[in-house]
Amino acid sequence: MSASNETQGAEGGADEPPQPDNTFYECNICFDTAKDPIVSMCGHLFCWPCLHRWLETRPNRQVCPVCKAGIGKEKVIPIYGRGSTNQQDPREKLPPRPQGQRSEPETQGGFPGFGFSDGGFHMSFGIGAFPFGIFASTFNFNDGRPGPPEAGSPQHTEEMFLSKVFLWVAILFIFWLLVA
Amino acid sequence: MASMEKRLQKELQALTKDPPKGVRVSPDGTCRTLSEWIVDLDGAPGTLYEGEHFQLQFKFSSRYPFDSPQVTFIGTNIPLHPHVYSNGHICLSILTEDWSPALSVQSVCLSIISMLSSCTEKKRPPDNSFYVKTCSKNPKKTRWWYHDDSV
Repeated sequence: MSASNETQGAEGGADEPPQPDNTFYECNICFDTAKDPIVSMCGHLFCWPCLHRWLETRPNRQVCPVCKAGIGKEKVIPIYGRGSTNQQDPREKLPPRPQGQRSEPETQGGFPGFGFSDGGFHMSFGIGAFPFGIFASTFNFNDGRPGPPEAGSPQHTEEMFLSKVFLWVAILFIFWLLVA
Repeated sequence: MASMEKRLQKELQALTKDPPKGVRVSPDGTCRTLSEWIVDLDGAPGTLYEGEHFQLQFKFSSRYPFDSPQVTFIGTNIPLHPHVYSNGHICLSILTEDWSPALSVQSVCLSIISMLSSCTEKKRPPDNSFYVKTCSKNPKKTRWWYHDDSV
């Protein structure tokens, strides 16, 4: 009987599969035979679901669980055995789940520290119905207000001057709005 | 949950069948539940802890091995070591931020034996009495600060 036969006999008699063969293709995370196997650039074997879960656990520190080399979805290689009928890339089988999103809590308007929290504190500036304001003051018909003073009186010239000044201010303002 | 049980079952089987020197799964602790183990450790020969025996308690969450186990010394003999508090809590980076799912009960036990073995002076951590009074029951809730790599 040759030496090799003796070894085989001893293994068979031990009633257990030999240890090295058993653990060699085991995933380094679940310690089970690697399912959807992938290998890292540093040479360590994992199930893709296991490694994926680990990468999700620490998204900002993705290192190989065995040797702490850098690792990531793009830095692993899928392994296809001869017998595997489904040659789909395991990385596509398990689409990365969308990450949880954390939105900022809704803040109440106003200044919570100063007692404005109940209703908010509003301030608004506005020019209401702007062009109509001009017409209203330009074409004011007799609506109970005193009529214009007679032409020629100093009050009349003064009012005409003021009216022209305001007209030019309004025109300049509209011009500025158009240009700006 | 299933993956956690499967892996723990495998680890338990391997550690019971072929344990490294100085490490034994305690027969009285483990039978009750798979998520809580007690492991007996022996101080390594030729070190300050030669001849001493310790007990480690492991508690596993359902997210194991992605989440590290809770590991503390229990029993009457808590090793006198600059990184071991008198309540059994251990300041060891692989138990929190440096945990990796490729680590196992066996590798944690060996790391702890190694940590004990490199000790040169048996003493408690300087902040022991304050920490023991204020800490949480779960050592993983402590914000450990790993600054001393010498021991």
